[in-house]
Amino acid sequence: MVCDDKDVTESVRVARPLRREADASTWWRGLVGGMMIALALALLARRRGVDEVSAWALPAIVFVIALILVWSPLDSAVQTDARRPDVVSLFSRDAWARVVVGVLLAIGSMIWFAQWDFHGHPLTRAIVVPIVAVTGFVLVPAPWWTRLIRQVAVEREQRVREFERAEIAAHLHDSVMQTLTLIRAKANEPDTVARLARAQERDLRAYLYQGRRSEADSVATALAAAMSEVEDTHGVAIEVVSVGDAPTTDALRAAVKAAREAAMNAARHGSEPISVYAELTDDAYEVYVRDSGPGFDPLLVHKDRAGIRNSIIGRAARHGGTAIISSAPQSRTEVAITMPRKDER
Amino acid sequence: MTVRVVIVDDHDVIRVGVRESLEDDIVVVGEGRDVESAIVAVKEAKPDVVILDVHLPGGTGGGALDVLAEILGGANAPKVLALSVSDAADDVVAVVRAGARGYVTKSISGPDLSDAVRRVASGDAVFSPRLAGFVLDAFNAAGGEVAQADEDLNSLTEREQEVMRLIARGYTYREVGEKLFISIKTVETHVGKVLHKLQLSNRHELARWAAQRRIV
Repeated sequence: MVCDDKDVTESVRVARPLRREADASTWWRGLVGGMMIALALALLARRRGVDEVSAWALPAIVFVIALILVWSPLDSAVQTDARRPDVVSLFSRDAWARVVVGVLLAIGSMIWFAQWDFHGHPLTRAIVVPIVAVTGFVLVPAPWWTRLIRQVAVEREQRVREFERAEIAAHLHDSVMQTLTLIRAKANEPDTVARLARAQERDLRAYLYQGRRSEADSVATALAAAMSEVEDTHGVAIEVVSVGDAPTTDALRAAVKAAREAAMNAARHGSEPISVYAELTDDAYEVYVRDSGPGFDPLLVHKDRAGIRNSIIGRAARHGGTAIISSAPQSRTEVAITMPRKDER
Repeated sequence: MTVRVVIVDDHDVIRVGVRESLEDDIVVVGEGRDVESAIVAVKEAKPDVVILDVHLPGGTGGGALDVLAEILGGANAPKVLALSVSDAADDVVAVVRAGARGYVTKSISGPDLSDAVRRVASGDAVFSPRLAGFVLDAFNAAGGEVAQADEDLNSLTEREQEVMRLIARGYTYREVGEKLFISIKTVETHVGKVLHKLQLSNRHELARWAAQRRIV
């Protein structure tokens, strides 16, 4: 930012210092430009003779003055608020006068220019004069036209926004409002309230961050969906982070299911926060499910407990993957599922 | 050492919640509810840390980015910890690139948030698992890109990727250090370098996310 601290304490409006700077340099540049044009004209007049130059230079200068007059009401409007180009409201009486005088001057300068006598070039004259006249008459209202076009665009944008707003309001009313009413009715059942809130949050997220792909197209979506099922069943919060994405093949689906089982275990026996991290590389899909303790001794788990063996390790193994469970009493449990991706290609 | 913070969020409920969940050594010295009041609160209270919601009304419509543009850059500018419910990569990356030193989600627990505030106050970076995931995604860590030199801003070194992966898996800095047999200070250094890269890299994924929020 080009603003210093002193400006900021004076006023909290953002971006004002920038605008102030632009004002100053415009004046300065205008002055220098004008002097240089005058100098060029003077030099030209000295070389070619005053009569020859003044025949077209004087109308040109008058025309430029006319342009400045016609465009001047717009200039201030552009500077103060370009987002609200309300053309009609720009017109004070003063502005009207400027525009009328400017247009008259422009017409006058055109006529003056048309009087210019080309020495022995009637054809050139027949071509040049209409071109100059048309250009001149296009130039005079040009910024007004662009202004109007922009105004139409802004109005259309506002209409679209209004429409979107109405649609969002309708959606919020149908979803969030209903849930809030339910929550108020069930205020003394904390589990129900928590479940309602989570379900609503997920619904709202899906709505806000649309454009997500289906579970078949995206293993990241499939994993997120599986984890939200666990969240709903056990009333826990699971943080899911996915890196990389691909269509869900059978092997990937098996990995997701194994991860779901691991998260179920974490929700049942472990404590929050539960983190799930999935990374998809060209070679493999790795999922880590981690809880926050209290941990257990994997060697002491009873043989007939089917949970870990079948649903996690077995599921992964059937598709050529592995699942490693690391834990110890009084520490966190982490299940690392690795599913190779060789057979896909 | 107490840490002085300003909380900026447009929802009263969230501000109260954050204020109450902070531990005793963190003192709330001001609050803001939109871009303008946030800037005033920060200028007046001169806090160590600003807890800044990403989506804020007012200003020029850039939310937290407007606030960051105004409060950072001075000699004793506060450190900023961004707080959001958003999952969108462009939101997260935009505030970090605009100068926030950390990013946590609003579901964070009180002690964790207090930890994050202290960490940011002491000059370290705070990465949530989600931010670590975005970083790995943006720097194409899953695609096997590895920086050849430490100064390479456009990719992560192997160690930085390992640290980011563990953070994404839910490890605390201490646990990351234990797992990789390095000190917690070294972990902090790696995270700091990743933050630096995230802010200065011109990888097109980052540029695209930033462009979606109209900053570069």
